Amino acid sequence: MSYVKSLRCKECHTDYELGPLTVCDNDFGPLEVAYDYEAMKGKVTRASIEAGPRSLWRYKDLLPIEGEPKAGFNSGYTPLIKADRLAAELGVKELYIKDDSANYPSYSYKDRVVSVALTKAIEFGFDTVGCASTGNLAHSVAAHAAAAGLRAFVMIPDDLEEGKVIGSLVFGPRMVKIKGNYDDVNRLCSQIADKYNWAIVNVNLRPYYTEGAKTHGFEIAEQMGWRLPQHTVCPVAGGTILPKIYKAYKEFITLGLVEDNKPKIHGAQADGCNPVVKALREGLELFHPQKPNTIAKSIAIGNPADGYYVIKDIKESGGWGDSASDQEILDAVKLLARTEGIFTEPAGGTTLACAIKLIQDGKIPRDESICVCITGNGLKTVEVMQGQFDVSPAINAKMSEFNELVSQLEETHTKANPTPASTA
Amino acid sequence: MAKITNKSWLTFEGGRQSEPCLWKMATRFPGVMFDIRQASVQKDIGIMAVLFEGEEDEVKAAQDYLREQGVRVDPVEGGSNVAG
Repeated sequence: MSYVKSLRCKECHTDYELGPLTVCDNDFGPLEVAYDYEAMKGKVTRASIEAGPRSLWRYKDLLPIEGEPKAGFNSGYTPLIKADRLAAELGVKELYIKDDSANYPSYSYKDRVVSVALTKAIEFGFDTVGCASTGNLAHSVAAHAAAAGLRAFVMIPDDLEEGKVIGSLVFGPRMVKIKGNYDDVNRLCSQIADKYNWAIVNVNLRPYYTEGAKTHGFEIAEQMGWRLPQHTVCPVAGGTILPKIYKAYKEFITLGLVEDNKPKIHGAQADGCNPVVKALREGLELFHPQKPNTIAKSIAIGNPADGYYVIKDIKESGGWGDSASDQEILDAVKLLARTEGIFTEPAGGTTLACAIKLIQDGKIPRDESICVCITGNGLKTVEVMQGQFDVSPAINAKMSEFNELVSQLEETHTKANPTPASTA
Repeated sequence: MAKITNKSWLTFEGGRQSEPCLWKMATRFPGVMFDIRQASVQKDIGIMAVLFEGEEDEVKAAQDYLREQGVRVDPVEGGSNVAG
């Protein structure tokens, strides 16, 4: 049975019947899925969730599908790492990494939103799906569509990392490279969704698609032993995941599944694309759109669709935000890799770099629990790490040459893996 | 040319938020009806949700005129150029 009540305008709260709708007719406010939480009480429990599959579908009752899942059967339920080595390096007491770089099948948090969106697309009878993407979403849509037997069109900016382009093409989608940045791609996709009868997952299926991001938050709470971190730091691109993690926490609190410890949500952006962080710093509720210029391409969205709600939720939760330079992002990628064995893409580096700054600034107290949301895998963007390491020349297979090299390598290693100045 | 309705977000920055850009548009394009559905204005930025209605080429020309005035015009997802 489904607990979904309606699609509800986030601004004027007008209710709409479920359908491939995105905005309210009255004020163009975004539509969001509304649930009957009263009916869930006593039925959606810790035990009922724990009895579910080891995938994001263990939270099916809190997702907007009518029948059984039709995509993403193995997506979600990614590791939550208690990051003690990184915590020691940063001087904090309790630190977790929610690691969606290990998500299945396309190694980013997008597998969550696409699982829900494609299930919904099939329920609505679409045979073609698509997306506007900075790379990870294209990768995920292409993979899930292939597995579900759907035709896929993925629209991307023309300057994406090669790993994401090839990693998507292998699944056989129709790929459209568009001259410009993500915001140009998204603008075109809005028009495509109106003209073609396709399910553009982050356009005309956006209310359903975004609900999938809640599962990242549900898993953090369940995997922490049914409690919430006092601080959650997550990246801000289009603005999907941050409000949905917050919604997930509030839903678990409403259902009595976790204690309300007033969790604070913090946003992370790159200096070269920080419209939300800039608005927070200036005390604005609205943000100025920007032209992105950062190595963190997967979060290079200068006009985030849900940016307004990111600002609202950060403020409501008592959180904050920060942004990081390209070098700080790369240093954080290396720090996470060498302390916890997790190789994230620049978006993840951005999140960790900003978490470090928030800790250093006292916005996140060192003795409170912290979860850093890692949303993508570094193996897709290895080119950004080029030039970050000294690679020693090949030696002959002789012990004397090896002995000489060992001491050199120790020195090189220390230089290449500095302790961040911010935490020293 | 067909009549259309078009939902757009207008963003006013760089001083445009204190100029009568929509009034100027209306005087130039009297055949284009506009309806402000939502608006929020802060010290140096304003955003409006506007429904446009009229002949397709006139609506496009009116929006191009707004862009010439420095107003950013973005289509609302799921609401651009719906035949009316």
